Amino acid sequence: MENLDAARLQMAFTLIFHIVFACIGMVMPFFMVVSHYKWLKTRDQIYLTLTKSWQKGVAIFFVTGAVSGTALSFELGLLWPEFMKHAGPIIGMPFSLEGAAFFVEAIALGFYLYGWNKLPEKFHWITGIIIGVSGVASGILVVAANGWMNAPSGFDYIDGKFLNIDPIQAMLNPAWFTQALHMTLAAFTATGFAVAGIHAYQIYKKRKVELHKKAFKIAITFGAIAAILQPISGDISAKDIAERQPVKLAAMEAHYNTEKGAPLYIGGVVDAKTQEVKYKIALPGMLSFLAFGDFDAEVKGLNDFPEDERPNVPIVHYAFQTMVGIGGILMLAGILYFISLKKKKWFQDRKYWLLFIILAPMGFIALEAGWIVTEVGRQPWIIHKIMRTKDAVTPMPGIVFSFYMYVVVYLTLSVAVTWLMLRQIRVLNQSNQ
Amino acid sequence: MLYVVLFFLIFSLYLYVVLGGADYGAGIVELFSSEENQKITKKTLYRVMGPVWEANHIWIIILIVILWIAFPVYYNIMVVHLHIPLTIVLLGVTLRGVAFVFRHYDAVIDNSQRLYDAMFKISSLVTPIFLGMVFGTLISGEIKIVDDIATLSFYEAFVRPWFNVFSVLIGLFFAALCAFLSSVLLIGESEGGKENIYIRKARIATIVVFVVGLITFGYGYISDYVFVKDFIKNPYSVISMLLSGLLLIPLWLTIKNGRRILSRLFAGLQVFLILLAALISHFPDIVITETGSISLIDNIAPDSVINALGIALIIGGTLILPGLFHLLKSFKMIKILERNNNPSI
Repeated sequence: MENLDAARLQMAFTLIFHIVFACIGMVMPFFMVVSHYKWLKTRDQIYLTLTKSWQKGVAIFFVTGAVSGTALSFELGLLWPEFMKHAGPIIGMPFSLEGAAFFVEAIALGFYLYGWNKLPEKFHWITGIIIGVSGVASGILVVAANGWMNAPSGFDYIDGKFLNIDPIQAMLNPAWFTQALHMTLAAFTATGFAVAGIHAYQIYKKRKVELHKKAFKIAITFGAIAAILQPISGDISAKDIAERQPVKLAAMEAHYNTEKGAPLYIGGVVDAKTQEVKYKIALPGMLSFLAFGDFDAEVKGLNDFPEDERPNVPIVHYAFQTMVGIGGILMLAGILYFISLKKKKWFQDRKYWLLFIILAPMGFIALEAGWIVTEVGRQPWIIHKIMRTKDAVTPMPGIVFSFYMYVVVYLTLSVAVTWLMLRQIRVLNQSNQ
Repeated sequence: MLYVVLFFLIFSLYLYVVLGGADYGAGIVELFSSEENQKITKKTLYRVMGPVWEANHIWIIILIVILWIAFPVYYNIMVVHLHIPLTIVLLGVTLRGVAFVFRHYDAVIDNSQRLYDAMFKISSLVTPIFLGMVFGTLISGEIKIVDDIATLSFYEAFVRPWFNVFSVLIGLFFAALCAFLSSVLLIGESEGGKENIYIRKARIATIVVFVVGLITFGYGYISDYVFVKDFIKNPYSVISMLLSGLLLIPLWLTIKNGRRILSRLFAGLQVFLILLAALISHFPDIVITETGSISLIDNIAPDSVINALGIALIIGGTLILPGLFHLLKSFKMIKILERNNNPSI
């Protein structure tokens, strides 16, 4: 395997894991403080049990997120030294602020976990809020740094040198808002549905139904609201990409030839050689409309771009289809949940719970697919139109072994974390509320 | 603003060495304890470190981020030439963090605890050794800087710089220092005769630090290491080192008299002096390569970056430090403060 491929695989692999841990660590505190709030309000012992068991989840995911994040902060330099040498100072702003936010989160978590019966009740609860808010802030800041790779700004690029650096402008690059909004909603959707799904399974198995129903409701409310809002954010993103990274949009849609009134493809198998998309459903004019708000607008095709500036079309196209498809399903499921609040008898139906069990991993699959669209869609650039990924990779050969090592370690860790979570749930079910 | 950035760089390095070091050291102390003492250490460690250990380890992230933003050339040398030891450090940090959480948050207590404990103890020893090796390599003069790294063999470019006696000695020195810090910390956290365990450990650790330090210097001197020669010639380094040694006297007096907080301050000050001696002997040329040295100051990011970073650090610092102090006060030292108020207990 080429060094570049190995480095890209390692980066992708570790990011795929980190994103899951980070999202859960960022969103679960909100479930926890809602349950905590209800405990303070109602003094219903069930909410206290739930809060304490979620808090363990938050602690475990915070740590796994923190260590995988530490690994990434090293990996950026270890794998892409040339990139960091030039980009490090420019995108340092969001990273240093993220460091601060992360620190605040760790301090607040220390207070929260060890503060039961020691701190004043209200203050203790507020430290829980701080965990969630600083977690989301960290997420937004990191995504802003990624946004800069898609929309480099805040410097002048003259003769291969980065001059007149403005770190603030680099942080507030044109992509930061659309990406951060989309990612934050995605994190809430994915975690909401995942946690709700786990509790739905417990209800399905008729274990501690009262407790798990309360847990389900808190988690799914967050997930459903985010899933319903997500298409709006997706639309903003699509229009933004159409303007800034037309080649990425073309790859997402496997749109090879420039045309007016471009159709939107749903599904389909891409043949990159013949540049054809087979077995698709084509909605005439829809792509033009989604990208530019006009059914007749011209959408640039891949063939308008030099061959060495195009990403891998099938990967980006399939990932995009996966993301949008699942996003649609989750939105419908979210609406279904709000209807079910009026139709209480659905809660008695095992099929209702089965549905949410099946949906549990879907949000995360969509979220990962979305990141594949962003990251693979940006290739061959590491900094859009400025630096190619192949020019940024480390000169050290043999990265493939480092990749294998990460695969073994991370797979082992995820098996271990899953096993640990199962033990938590089992103990929770055995406890006397 | 450069001074603000430099201050935070050294400040976070120091805090990582002291807080993270004490944290690693606890695992080392546990590793070299009898089975019964291991249990005691594990419990004490959880109570003392539990609330703060995550915060302790964020200092290294702050350190890395400051390096890559403000000193990109320096950072570049580290990540290219020290890829392998840094990866091992990462692996150690990962396994150690995971093991710590697993052994304290696993809902079921069973045989898997043995595995978590082993993971925790071994990574607690290996990680600081490699961290020390990284620092040792940067000052060892073993790194070769060439225009085209492809002209060097794999061994020359990526292995020899850190895989040598001098770097390993510095690694062992740092690990011993961690054990020393941790023992002093744990003395103050135990009672009912158990503090004697840690007094003994602290004594052993002090001897190991001293002996390894002496061997490192001796070896470095005989083998003509630029760093060692310059260190000896630099009066500030020598004075700091001697002061650090002299502080052992008040340290042992305070330990003997049960002055728990004061003894920690002395131990922290000693480590500060050692770090200062190491940094000042060559400042600002922190990287010594085979052909010369690379200044930290001469290769910095543009002013606009340094200014923005300085402001971010000041804001972050004012946000974090009071919170961190409060956290330390609220949990770690609660017991001691209570005891000081009621001497009868």
